[in-house]
Amino acid sequence: MTDAVLSFNDIGQDFPAPGSSAIRVIDGISLDVGHGQFVAVIGPSGCGKSTLLQMAAGLLAPTRGLVRHRGRAIDTVNREVGFVPQQAQLFPWKTLSENVELPLLLRGVAAPERRTRVAAALEAVGLAGFEQYYPGQLSGGMQKRGSIARTLVYRPDVILMDEPFGALDAQTRMVMQDDLQALSRDAGATILFVTHDITEAVLLADHVAIMSQRPSRLLATVAIDLPRPRNVFEPFKNPGFEAAYEKVWSIFQSQIDIRRRTH
Amino acid sequence: MNDVSTIAGKPAAAEASAARQSAFAGKAGRFVLRLLPGLALLAFWQWSSGRLIKEVYVSKPTAVAARLYELFASGEIFPHLWTTGQELVLGYVIGVAGGILGGYALGRSPRLANIFEPYVMAFYGIPKIALAPLFIIWFGIGIGSKVALAAIMVFFLVFYNVYTGVRSVDRELVNLTLVMGANQRQLSYHVYFPAAAPYVLLGMRMAVPYSVIGVIVGEFTSSVQGLGLFIHEASSTYDPAGVFAGIVILLAFVVLANFLAGRLERRLLRWKAPSGHAPADI
Repeated sequence: MTDAVLSFNDIGQDFPAPGSSAIRVIDGISLDVGHGQFVAVIGPSGCGKSTLLQMAAGLLAPTRGLVRHRGRAIDTVNREVGFVPQQAQLFPWKTLSENVELPLLLRGVAAPERRTRVAAALEAVGLAGFEQYYPGQLSGGMQKRGSIARTLVYRPDVILMDEPFGALDAQTRMVMQDDLQALSRDAGATILFVTHDITEAVLLADHVAIMSQRPSRLLATVAIDLPRPRNVFEPFKNPGFEAAYEKVWSIFQSQIDIRRRTH
Repeated sequence: MNDVSTIAGKPAAAEASAARQSAFAGKAGRFVLRLLPGLALLAFWQWSSGRLIKEVYVSKPTAVAARLYELFASGEIFPHLWTTGQELVLGYVIGVAGGILGGYALGRSPRLANIFEPYVMAFYGIPKIALAPLFIIWFGIGIGSKVALAAIMVFFLVFYNVYTGVRSVDRELVNLTLVMGANQRQLSYHVYFPAAAPYVLLGMRMAVPYSVIGVIVGEFTSSVQGLGLFIHEASSTYDPAGVFAGIVILLAFVVLANFLAGRLERRLLRWKAPSGHAPADI
C-alpha cells in the first residue's frame, strides 16, 4: 500500500486524566488506507478507534506522530474528507434537501449545480420525495440515509464513518449495510470505517484493522478477499466468510478475554 | 357545551360536517371555559365592592371601564401612553440587542467568558430596582433613566438565555460543519444562530414583563410623564379606578407583546413543530 491516501504514522495519543498522569490511549499506531479501499477498524470499546477518525478529519492533533492525507500533513480541519457520525446529526432547523445542500453551499458551488447534485444524492440513498421534510419528521434510518447523502454530495476524497449503523435496529442496519456496499462501489470511494461489530467489518471491508485494548496498538491488519457483492443479509452464505471471520476473531478474541479477567 | 355538540351531532346525516361542527364546538367550548374564571373574578369584584369592602379601596370593574373610556375619549392618557411606550420600546430593544451581542460573544469565546462571566454574574445579583435613584441622577428625570432601567433588566435575562443557548450547541455538529467546509462566519449563520434561536426567543418573551417593571419603577421614582406617574398620582389622590385603569393598559401591552412574540416564535421555529406524520421506515 504505497499509494496510501490516508496514512497514520506511529500515532500516539494521551488524554489528561483526573489524577496526576495522563492516560495513554493510543500507543504507536501505523495504518495506511489505499485509494478506493474500504478499511474497517475494530477494537474493544475505549480503545481510541474514533480518535483516529478525529485525527484524520483534523479535529484533534495526535500527541505523537503524524497523519498524512495524500502526503500532506494534517494540521488543521481537513475539508477533503467526509464524516459520518454515529448519530445522523442532521441540522434540525433545515429541511432534508437544505441539509444535503449545505456542504455545496459552504464550498461555493453554483445554485443550478447544487440542485442537480442534491437531487442525485437523495435519489442514490432512496430519499427522493422527502426533500421538504425536517429531520424530526424522518425515521432513524432515513435520517442516517440523509446523513450519508450529505457526505456523498460533495464527493470527498475519503469518507470517515464512526460506527454509523450502531444506533439502528437490526433490520435497518442490514439494509443500510447493503446500500453502503453498493454506494461505495459506485462512487469508488475510499472509506475508513470504525465499528465494534466483527461481522459488519468482515462483510463490508477490504481490510480489517484490529486494535488492542488501551493503550492500544495495531494487532493486525487482515485482508478480506471475499468476492463482491457480498450478501449482508445471510453472512454465512458468502463463500469464505467463515474462514475470514475466524481469522479476525482469533486475533480479536484475546482482547475480549483480557477484559473478562480484569473484571 | 359538550352535551350540546353531541346532541346536535347525532341526528345529522352528514357525519363529516357533524365532526367538523363538534370540533368547532370543542374549540369554542375550551375558549368559554378559559374565560369563565376571569368573568367570575370580575363578577365577584363587582358584587363585593361596596358590600364586603369599601369602594374607595378597590373601585369596581364598571367604574374602571368608565374611567378607561373617559381617559381615551378626553385624550388625557395619550401623552402618558406615548412616553411610556417610547421608554418600553427603547429599553426593550437596547436590552435585547445588548443581551444577544454579549451572550453570543461570551458563548462563542471561552476565553472572553472566562474573564467576564464572574463580573456579569456579580452585576446580575444586584437588585436592579435599587439602581433606580442612581439612574435618575445619571440620566435625568426624562425618558433616559427609564430606558436605562428597563434595558438593564432585559439585558441580563436575554444575556443568560443566549449564553446558555450558544454554549449548548452540540460540539460534534460544529465539527461536522467545519469538515463540510464552513468558515467561522458560515458556522455562525448555519449552526450557532439557528441553534440559539429558541433560547433567544424564550429570553425575549420572558423579558417583556421585566421591561414593564423597569419602566414603571423608574416612573414611580421620579418622572414628568408616563403611565407609572399616572398610576402613582391616582393612588396618592385616592383614585383606585385610575390605578386600575393604568394597570389594565399595562396588562394589555404585555398581552399584546406576548402574542407578537409567540407569533414570531412559531414562525422562526417551524422546524420544532413537525407538521404531519413521520413516514414509515425505509
